[in-house]
Amino acid sequence: MIKAKPKPLEEIQNYVESFDRILITGCGGCVSVCLAGGQREVNILKTELALAHSQSNTNKHMDGYTVERQCNSNLIEELDPIVADFDCIISMACGAGVQHLAERYPGKPVFPAVNTIAIGVDLDIGLYEERCRACGECVLAYTGGICPVTRCAKGLFNGPCGGTNGDKCEISNEIDCAWLMIYNRLKEQNRLEDILKIQPPMEWKNQVKRTIIQKGYENRYIDK
Amino acid sequence: MSDNNRNKIDTRAIQSILKENKKQIKLGLTMCAHCSMCAESCFLYMSKDYDPEYMPSYKFLNSIGKLYKKKGKVSNGRLEKMRDLVFENCVLCTRCYCPFGINIPSLITLGRRICRSQGVFREYDK
Ligand code: SF4
Ligand code: SF4
Repeated sequence: MIKAKPKPLEEIQNYVESFDRILITGCGGCVSVCLAGGQREVNILKTELALAHSQSNTNKHMDGYTVERQCNSNLIEELDPIVADFDCIISMACGAGVQHLAERYPGKPVFPAVNTIAIGVDLDIGLYEERCRACGECVLAYTGGICPVTRCAKGLFNGPCGGTNGDKCEISNEIDCAWLMIYNRLKEQNRLEDILKIQPPMEWKNQVKRTIIQKGYENRYIDK
Repeated sequence: MSDNNRNKIDTRAIQSILKENKKQIKLGLTMCAHCSMCAESCFLYMSKDYDPEYMPSYKFLNSIGKLYKKKGKVSNGRLEKMRDLVFENCVLCTRCYCPFGINIPSLITLGRRICRSQGVFREYDK
């Protein structure tokens, strides 16, 4: 799932400094699971902001509201009657959720309260690690299930650079060389020939907004 | 709203959500023929060995449906049971299908909304 990290309080405070009525919106999806922007975090942020405002003798009206998913228009609809009463919105959802609110309420400034970090796995409660950068051209089939985009500092597609430092990456002694891991995994599976297959350069489609249309749904969404 | 006292049920807040969505809830309750056609469209129901508590109709009838019938009156214990039903037994993938056109995910969402209005929601570190 998507993993996010709360922004520092001072940063959020700066965003909303000039607004008097602030709505803090949570999301019941991924950011609830990674403990960054669910209903509980909305309550915490509200308390922290209220404390900061009282310390600086500023009087602001704040409220919190959590919808099930900010990335789905049917599920943000319930905010419509609430938003009207506020000058600005803080969104604790991922970047997609923030933009979705900004699109729906173009007259209201929408500020992010979390940094969206990665698509990752849960290692433990509150501990997550990136595994995927949604590059749009998955290469895991020939890299032994290890992603060179997220795990190799240079995102190399066709074997290691010349700087491998033992079994570590040249940028840090604490980071394993992704391509060595890929080599070892493929070797273990007797699939070393996969490493020799040259992969074409990635079209960095994430430079533009990508839309996903699943197979069978083309007729519904693409104009002839 | 998010900051309600968890131990004290605010029946009025529940009733106002029920009132606001009365038409939809009533329609769902009257239209459901208990035909269980929705069951197989729920991947959770299928993957939980056909456990009836994962059936989409069961989930909305026993959350928002019950709240509606009881006019919003609910105990803490019951509300927490409902929380498990609407948060744990459903991921809101919105894939369930009812041949009578009942919008099941939307009714389950209403159940969640009522839970949230009372500060009752799923906590992922518990
Ligand atoms: S398919 Fe529709 S009518 Fe049949 S049990 Fe499910 S919700 Fe009720
Ligand atoms: S929305 Fe909930 S009930 Fe419907 S199919 Fe998905 S998990 Fe099942």
